[in-house]
Amino acid sequence: MSARENILRRIRSQSGREGTTTDAERAAAREHIAKHTRGPLPSIAQGDPVERFVAECARVKTSVEQLASGQDVPKAAAQYLAQNALPQRAVGWSALAGLDWQGAGIQFEDRLANKDDLVGVTDCFCAIGETGTLLLLSSPTTPKLHALLPETHICVVSRSRIVTCVEDAFALLRKERGELPRATFFVSGPSRTADIEQTIVIGAHGPYRVHVLLVP
Amino acid sequence: MKVGLFVTCLVDLVRPNIGFAALKLLEDAGCEVVVPATQTCCGQPGYNSGAREVSKTLARKVLAEFRDCDYVVAPSGSCSGQMKVHAVEDLFKGEPEEEEFRALAEKWYELSDFLLAVLRVDYTKLADERSIGTLTYHDSCSGLRELNIKAQPRVLLMDAGASINEMIDCEKCCGFGGTFSVKLGEISTRMAENKCANIRLSGAPMLVGGDLGCLLNIEGRLRRTGDETTKVAHYAEVLAGMVK
Amino acid sequence: MEVRSMHFKATASGKLNDAVLQGAMKKAKGKFVDGRAAAVAEIDVWQPMRTHAAALRDLTIANLDAYLLEFEANATRRGAIVHWAESAAEANDIIVRIARDNAVKIATKSKSMVSEEISLNDALDAAGVEVVETDLGEYILQLAKEPPSHIVAPAVHKTKEQVADLFVAAHHKPRLTDIPSMTLEAREVLREKFLSADMGISGANFVIAETGTTLTVTNEGNADMVTTIPRIHVVVTGIEKVIPTLEDFATLIRLLPRSAIGQTVSNYLTLTTGVKGEGDLDGPEQMHIVLIDAGRTKLVGSDMQEMLRCIRCGACMNHCPVYQNVGGHAYGWVYPGPMGSVLTPTYVGIENAGDLPNAATFCGECQVVCPVKIPLPDLMRKWRERQFTQQLRPWSERAGIAVWSAFATRPTLYAWSTRVAARVAALLGGAKRRITWLPGLDGWTDGRDMPAPTGKTFRELYAARRSGGGRLL
Repeated sequence: MSARENILRRIRSQSGREGTTTDAERAAAREHIAKHTRGPLPSIAQGDPVERFVAECARVKTSVEQLASGQDVPKAAAQYLAQNALPQRAVGWSALAGLDWQGAGIQFEDRLANKDDLVGVTDCFCAIGETGTLLLLSSPTTPKLHALLPETHICVVSRSRIVTCVEDAFALLRKERGELPRATFFVSGPSRTADIEQTIVIGAHGPYRVHVLLVP
Repeated sequence: MKVGLFVTCLVDLVRPNIGFAALKLLEDAGCEVVVPATQTCCGQPGYNSGAREVSKTLARKVLAEFRDCDYVVAPSGSCSGQMKVHAVEDLFKGEPEEEEFRALAEKWYELSDFLLAVLRVDYTKLADERSIGTLTYHDSCSGLRELNIKAQPRVLLMDAGASINEMIDCEKCCGFGGTFSVKLGEISTRMAENKCANIRLSGAPMLVGGDLGCLLNIEGRLRRTGDETTKVAHYAEVLAGMVK
Repeated sequence: MEVRSMHFKATASGKLNDAVLQGAMKKAKGKFVDGRAAAVAEIDVWQPMRTHAAALRDLTIANLDAYLLEFEANATRRGAIVHWAESAAEANDIIVRIARDNAVKIATKSKSMVSEEISLNDALDAAGVEVVETDLGEYILQLAKEPPSHIVAPAVHKTKEQVADLFVAAHHKPRLTDIPSMTLEAREVLREKFLSADMGISGANFVIAETGTTLTVTNEGNADMVTTIPRIHVVVTGIEKVIPTLEDFATLIRLLPRSAIGQTVSNYLTLTTGVKGEGDLDGPEQMHIVLIDAGRTKLVGSDMQEMLRCIRCGACMNHCPVYQNVGGHAYGWVYPGPMGSVLTPTYVGIENAGDLPNAATFCGECQVVCPVKIPLPDLMRKWRERQFTQQLRPWSERAGIAVWSAFATRPTLYAWSTRVAARVAALLGGAKRRITWLPGLDGWTDGRDMPAPTGKTFRELYAARRSGGGRLL
């Protein structure tokens, strides 16, 4: 008998069930899953998701700048980089390559991020108001490393893509994508650690800065 | 109203004064109090040492002794938790006796809870005669977390004119824990010391609580470390004007 | 990991007198306890959320085989390879084999308590693989050659001075004692490791049946490096970690970081589903998921099954007055505090961990803060019951209970013996009415006086009063 069979058999015999897992039991589990039962939602998660998102971003130390138009993204990014004394150079996701980066003075590269990149620019699948979270889905054109390796992560978020809670994000994901991608990445603020004397330090392994450009 | 007083084994042996204080408070409120002479212990020390069967035997004994009472009252959150929670939710759960123990749990009260919730005593009239002064209150774990005894003793004490200087971590365990205090005495002592430090910080000249086990533990540590002045008393003694 | 739980009492004694540890523990306590209280206070549905979470964990455990099979089917469909291991040794063999088959030289690892259980680092080390812990706390402990003392904050017992010394020895750079600079130094050292590793090893906070997904939760982002950069990703986790749906993840993730460190959300939550797809620029080529039993099935269907709800938040230890005073190492194995006092005897045998279920006053704080409502004191008491029936406690303790039972169940004998005891103890107490030393009770009298009885029992005085006919004396 394999370890797998032994473990499964032990689980069953311990709970007083004979034999191997039946089709009916498997079907019952699938039926339960299909219900996607939600747990209680705290009141603080409710209300206007955009307002909530902005407030929660402040709490997790994600900075937010609201823009009148998506076309303003390169200029706003350039200003942010200048304010933080960062080079006007970024690696970014393909979907953003069409913006006028050159016009804003930023050298934008549409390729995979590497260890020398200081700035990564992405958008996101959606954002979550409850916790000030960016939800990034991996794909050939949206690699995860852009949001991980560079010291600064700039994320373009559409106000219309801010949902109330994690459950709503999953509902949207099921509707639009059907399945989870390889990496479903929830980012809430810059990387941090408190492993030395419980002292919070920003910038453990991931970005030191997460900056959201909020567009209509 | 016939009220059975469950004295508790520690009060019986070590500080009978608490039993008489409880008796006085109940009688002053007009209760007919009976004290079954055969009572010994609620069974908790055995229960928490893994001796389940003997703790059940003792629980049955308590049940029989107080069968005729309308209420049972104990000056202890710990013994009350044993009878109100553990006997029902664990020891006799699913057994034929469960119903009887549920009925006992229903009529069983921790003293301060009984005085307020059932007897609705008004101790504001005591304020002039008692002059209790300032105290700090230690919440004993079982009463607090199993029975929600938190406001009751404070309300009674403040009505009677006490002023309470709350200490830091008043809800933190003092380290008594029954046999724990002997089995793991060094850790227990450290926990008692932490409690004593917070009592000192409160500045209150008296420590009041509702479970004699904790009070003995705290008093023992205070005295060992040279504190001869801080009074340690059960709230029943304070309310009855019987602090020794 | 080597079991040292049988030395609890002696180790705890040392820890009580370790000034550096005591300072570190005091500092940590405030942050964990106050932080959690503030985070929980914001949530109006905290109790319903706990109830919902406990119920969903119970439902899964009650049908654990079906949900594991569902998970396996979905993970496999997405290109992961699911392995099953009955024991620590089997799990290590599987992972060492994966490393050998793929000529792995360097493995980066994000925090996994299951890997501590099975001593995975030792097994890989013996197979010639360089394993690098990447959670900052775990990295510090790897340098110190010490096990974690806390399941969420593994290096909570270390001071920055101690860490500074470890960094000097390992990094050969000038000694820094400023925490941000120290963190930056570790970041730079570990960044190189992340980029050069062949294999990434992570734990899983949960695995999700619906999608065949594994979850990592970190604040540092190290798990994301580990699961994204190397060509092979290995997940080691316990079979009890399966949950049915993404909605269940949503509920549990509201409870976990708040309970753990008072955070509304952890910085990085990553759901990993299968391997690098066609056209993907990052992600591993192989994903192996090792599902480990190593004692867990013993809890299924048992009177301690509730323990399998545990989501490893650490709130029980953070609030435990015993843990707060002795720290995690005293417990002698992977899991400290109340959850450890239930799990350790299950996984390593009660004969090796007899003091742990007794290292509790049953104050009940752990149960109150547990996000999945595990009745931890009740479960510790069940261990005490087994110790009692199997006569596993020292003879003096057993004799004590036997004497107490004999007297307490016989009212006449009890009345007589307490009369005698009250008089003898009153004499021993002397004028100050305190006993300073009592044989057999030296556990008490070593550090505390014993306030002495006054000479007569309540029942005597009460009988006298009754016969006197008056009201109060």
